[in-house]
Amino acid sequence: MTRAAAVLTGLGVVGAHGMGRASLRAALLAGRPLASEVDRSAGYHAGDSSRLAALVPSLDLARWLPPAEARRLSVPSRFAVAAARMALEDAGIASLEGRRVAVVLATAFGALLFTEKLVRQILDEGPEAAQPFYFSECVANAAAARVAIALGARGANVTITQREAGPLLALARGAQEVREGRADLAIAGSADEMTGLLHALLDRFRGTARAVGVREEAARPFDAARNGVLAGEGASVVVIEREDDATARGARSLARVAVSGAAFDATAPVSDWGEGEAALARALRAALERAGKGVETIDRIVSSASGARRGDRLEAATLAAAWGASPLPPVVTPKAVVGEFGGGLLASAVLAVEGAPFGRLSAFETRDPSLGVAPHDGGPLAAPNRVLITALAAGGAASWAVLERP
Amino acid sequence: MPGADRGLPRPSDIVVTGLGAVTPFGWGVNALWEGARRGISAVGPFTRFDASRHRTHLAAQVPAGDDGKERSRRLSVADGFAVASAREAVAAARLDLDLCRERTGVFFGSSAGGMLEGEWFFEAHIHRGTRHARRGLVASQQFNGPGDAVARVIGVSGQVETISSACASAAMAIGNALRALRRGDVDVALAGGSDALCQLTYAGFNALRSVDEGPSRPFRKDRMGLSLGEGAGVLVLESAEHARRRGATPIAILAGEASTCDAHHMTAPHPDGSGASSAIRLALLDAGVSPDDVDFVNAHGTGTPLNDAAEAAALKAVFGDRARSLPVTSTKALIGHLLGSAGAVEAVVTALGLLFREVHPMPDTGTLDPELGLDLVLGAPRVLPRAFCAISTSLAFGGANSALVFARHETA
Repeated sequence: MTRAAAVLTGLGVVGAHGMGRASLRAALLAGRPLASEVDRSAGYHAGDSSRLAALVPSLDLARWLPPAEARRLSVPSRFAVAAARMALEDAGIASLEGRRVAVVLATAFGALLFTEKLVRQILDEGPEAAQPFYFSECVANAAAARVAIALGARGANVTITQREAGPLLALARGAQEVREGRADLAIAGSADEMTGLLHALLDRFRGTARAVGVREEAARPFDAARNGVLAGEGASVVVIEREDDATARGARSLARVAVSGAAFDATAPVSDWGEGEAALARALRAALERAGKGVETIDRIVSSASGARRGDRLEAATLAAAWGASPLPPVVTPKAVVGEFGGGLLASAVLAVEGAPFGRLSAFETRDPSLGVAPHDGGPLAAPNRVLITALAAGGAASWAVLERP
Repeated sequence: MPGADRGLPRPSDIVVTGLGAVTPFGWGVNALWEGARRGISAVGPFTRFDASRHRTHLAAQVPAGDDGKERSRRLSVADGFAVASAREAVAAARLDLDLCRERTGVFFGSSAGGMLEGEWFFEAHIHRGTRHARRGLVASQQFNGPGDAVARVIGVSGQVETISSACASAAMAIGNALRALRRGDVDVALAGGSDALCQLTYAGFNALRSVDEGPSRPFRKDRMGLSLGEGAGVLVLESAEHARRRGATPIAILAGEASTCDAHHMTAPHPDGSGASSAIRLALLDAGVSPDDVDFVNAHGTGTPLNDAAEAAALKAVFGDRARSLPVTSTKALIGHLLGSAGAVEAVVTALGLLFREVHPMPDTGTLDPELGLDLVLGAPRVLPRAFCAISTSLAFGGANSALVFARHETA
């Protein structure tokens, strides 16, 4: 088995900020939630439900996805194909001819709009009304398959569905494909869409933030008054190569994938976070130590804290247990800006390694004294050498990755 | 595992030490194996949902079982299959999880998760209003529901990862577990998959005109499509050394795996089978064995005209003239297509085939397809003069292909 360092050489991102790294970088610096009104007209929402989500604005994807091609694709597939092509251009790769290319994408919920339409056709109009087009696009792996077809990628084609933990698991699998010699290049990331139905369901599980009194509806990671997440959508895709291959072709490396780890908190209920911080912290430390990178080598944390009441508590407690008596490095919480789901966390972490500044979160008000951690206050920070990315999922799954400056 | 060493695993080889299954033949591995040996299709009328308005009316449903305890935990039907299979596999492996809880992972595949319950939610929403659509129905609707349920109920705290790559989900998950064990990410893996019948997949495959009105007839000339089924399969995997240290008896060796993609079409395989043949070749390479070492094939074998033709082309490309005398079977001919869990149940019977030196048959119905030129196991089990190595293939929507290589463990 060939072992080599895996580096990221390209990033493509579609999100509520728009397309590409420049708009994401600006949004992270501004620190304001990219929130807009959700269409609640389908009747799924309760009257007092949350109203906002980080929705992708109407974008002209034509440069990345010709309209004729887009018409055949579900929303997550469109996001994924556009982001994948963007990532390849960012990596300076014009052709994949002759390369063994793996595609590893995560999705939390798949093409929900098409799924909803198909189920409605079946239940409302009868099974014979079911359209094959919706069926073929509502399988969870549609986006990964569409990326493979669009790029001619004939390596492993894997779709990981582990909710919030999925994107980092996809990053890990992509890095493994190239490190272990099964692929010359991996396209890895995640894609999700936020539909009215999903937003309403997240709200019914008390997962989304709500307005309370004079306090506006916003995700407030680690805030004493946090009461839910900002649901989001989009796609983030990275190009992963072996470091020597990237060097040989003169490519710029954005980050090296230094550590991957995963665990499960069996105390978690199906749709919430648990209280298994001790075991999670042991797993995190073990993953770091297996790679020879102790917690003391981490100088930035890109945290999956999202404003979820129990999720942020678990995140804070896990970090505290992992670091013990040592002080935590600065912690940034991009989900407050880009939303939960859609891959914004991964793309933000890549920018963090590049030294992108993270501004003060406009919605953060009061530090929760029980947590012992708060989001970075927006002050200037030196570019980090080694960034820990955390991803704790509702339901119990957890994944971590460390990206380091090449 | 070089071919010369087959059957004599190195300590680092990954072995199967426990099996579990819930299938249309019943609850448990014994029911599966006995049903498979009989070679009689379990496809028939079913009650999982009202199929009267669908184009076809048959499927292979898991019979009611002693799953009341699992259902009380508010698990979806697919979750219940998964948990029961995992419990059986863990018990069969005599695995004391208290000794390895944090070093045990769950690697699962599911194509639909709890979609059946999601449909109940929609039904209530559409016909009775949102207030009557219980949110609990969609709590387990997620693709990761079955794998998470296994980890939660069994009490596992190592890596948990669900793959949802349509019909190759579970095979890829098992391959993923193999890699994780080799890397040392976990010491023990519960690998498998689970899916339940639901209207979305039933109507969807019917919309594609991919469902046979009768029980499916893989590789037969008059094949008209697949039959849908449901169930779960779980394998306990660990290194041979880990198994030896705790006194476990290996059932088989999981010797290799590989995945590829056709990059051709969302619902049709590449007609030359090149993606599938590439996956098989890479898996054999990963296992360190040659095509000549393979003693039988548990094919994806859905019974659709396009799949079976492409798969036969792939087998011919890999095995050459030997494809005409290499025993080929399809578990889907008996229990239908279990979608995201198909690869898991087929892995279970492939491992058992090596253990018992026997290939389960397909029903001897339909007309032979001379163009495919395969040696199909029909009507009665095929006893193998040698049973060193076997492959199990899974070919999915979107052109995702997965191949697993199992080898006989001589001390089994």
